[in-house]
Amino acid sequence: MTSPSASSRKALSKIACNRLQKELVEWQVNPPAGFKHKVTDNLQRWIIEVTGAPGTLYAGETYQLQVDFPEHYPMEAPQVIFVPPAPPHPHIYSNGHICLDILYDSWSPAMTVSSICISLLSMLSSSPAKQRPADNDRYVKNCKNGRSPKETRWWFHDDKV
Amino acid sequence: MAEEEVMAELEAVEAVYGDDCQVIEPYPPHLHVHLKPRTADISSQQFVEATIGMRAGSQYPEEPPVISIIDSKGLDERRQKLLITSISDIAFELASCLMLVALCEEAVERLTSMNHPDGDCPLCLYPLLDEDSGSNSLPFMKLMSCFHCFHCDCIIRWWNFIQMQSEKEIMSSSSSTSSRIVTDQQGMRKMMEGSMGKCPVCRKVFLTKDIEHVLDLVGTGAQLDSGRIEVDADILQSDSEKIRRQKFEAVLKLQQENSGLIEPKRNEVLLPGMFLPQAVTAPSSESDMTSSGTQNNDPSDKSETNSSSSVNRPGSRKQSNSNMRRHRPQNSRNQVRHWVRKDNVSNN
Ligand SMILES: [Zn+2]
Ligand SMILES: [Zn+2]
Repeated sequence: MTSPSASSRKALSKIACNRLQKELVEWQVNPPAGFKHKVTDNLQRWIIEVTGAPGTLYAGETYQLQVDFPEHYPMEAPQVIFVPPAPPHPHIYSNGHICLDILYDSWSPAMTVSSICISLLSMLSSSPAKQRPADNDRYVKNCKNGRSPKETRWWFHDDKV
Repeated sequence: MAEEEVMAELEAVEAVYGDDCQVIEPYPPHLHVHLKPRTADISSQQFVEATIGMRAGSQYPEEPPVISIIDSKGLDERRQKLLITSISDIAFELASCLMLVALCEEAVERLTSMNHPDGDCPLCLYPLLDEDSGSNSLPFMKLMSCFHCFHCDCIIRWWNFIQMQSEKEIMSSSSSTSSRIVTDQQGMRKMMEGSMGKCPVCRKVFLTKDIEHVLDLVGTGAQLDSGRIEVDADILQSDSEKIRRQKFEAVLKLQQENSGLIEPKRNEVLLPGMFLPQAVTAPSSESDMTSSGTQNNDPSDKSETNSSSSVNRPGSRKQSNSNMRRHRPQNSRNQVRHWVRKDNVSNN
């Protein structure tokens, strides 16, 4: 159960497959600045390397994102987490879960992995301090059975950071 | 140049563009002009429009006005830039002449040349208009509220998905207090009639009826063995933004007509905001059939409660939906029902 998204997940639908292949091709032609997709043969899980933007708190640091796609992507949002160690950030929990509305309630099927990445980088770049969310310990404890962040009831208080 | 002359020019602009011209400041002239492509008399064939801001300084017309786009539909960033650049270029060329009308005309000219949907379907990322495959392009539609375009299949798949999700939500929230909503189909239908969606791209709100004609068309197409879709001329009208009222009535009328037999195909019809392929027999590899096939192998299908399936959603209002294109034995309702299953997990 350490990786529930992999074990309990259903295979991609044909539509999801087509869409992801299309995204992958587009990514290869025009990747979002600061991101590198680690090529694997697994279309359903993308591992993406993020490099902190110059001039920000995370400049030059690299982190890994794990993006898991549900059967009915893009109707359903992908699950996006940082592979620990996650960047210290007021909206990123130490288990890698990210509090960002577009990954949950505000997801739209017109968004892409690329547009998620751009949002994530801007979230990192505007961070005022390298700091965990106030409820980090409680939250992480609650998630200990490998729960997906998509099962969390998020509330979004501040989209500035 | 004398202030009177400049003022006279502004009057001329107002005379030409009427209500589409909004004067923010009479002198130095600052105005917003709402412009459409020349070919946009039939709103169904309109894919772009823009409100152009022109702000002149006290040195006008020696110094050209500053051009901006106040609002636009159907234009991505690239095309917006193109539009501003071309108007600004003309403005520089015409420096020291009174140019406001000429600038508007340039804008209209540009919009006319851009009056086609651009790029890919935002849902599947494949081109809306596939130049290579020509007539084999999938049919697409446009949301009247924002001019964003989608393949019909794609928007319907998405619409059904969110409908199912909101039904699910209503049911789970009501289950603790009463189960009345689930059984009361009439009530549910009422609720759904006014239901709204948000454009997947810009989140502008639209109403069910804005895409109802698409649901209809897909259902209609199913009844035609040729796989072609017949559309009443009324539906051309129905897409007009200005006559939303009539539109709705036309759709209703069409629905009534469709409950009977459908007349033989006239020929390819150019549709309102919607180009149809010559034959829909092969909705392309990315259509639902493959996935619905796999989903149906899933035994847990059966576990889905009948409560949601008994609901009268807009898309299910007619039997036409139950016999979709013959190549797609599963109707769209079946598909979406599977999609929601997962939702239970997040409700715990
Ligand atoms: Zn599409
Ligand atoms: Zn839109």
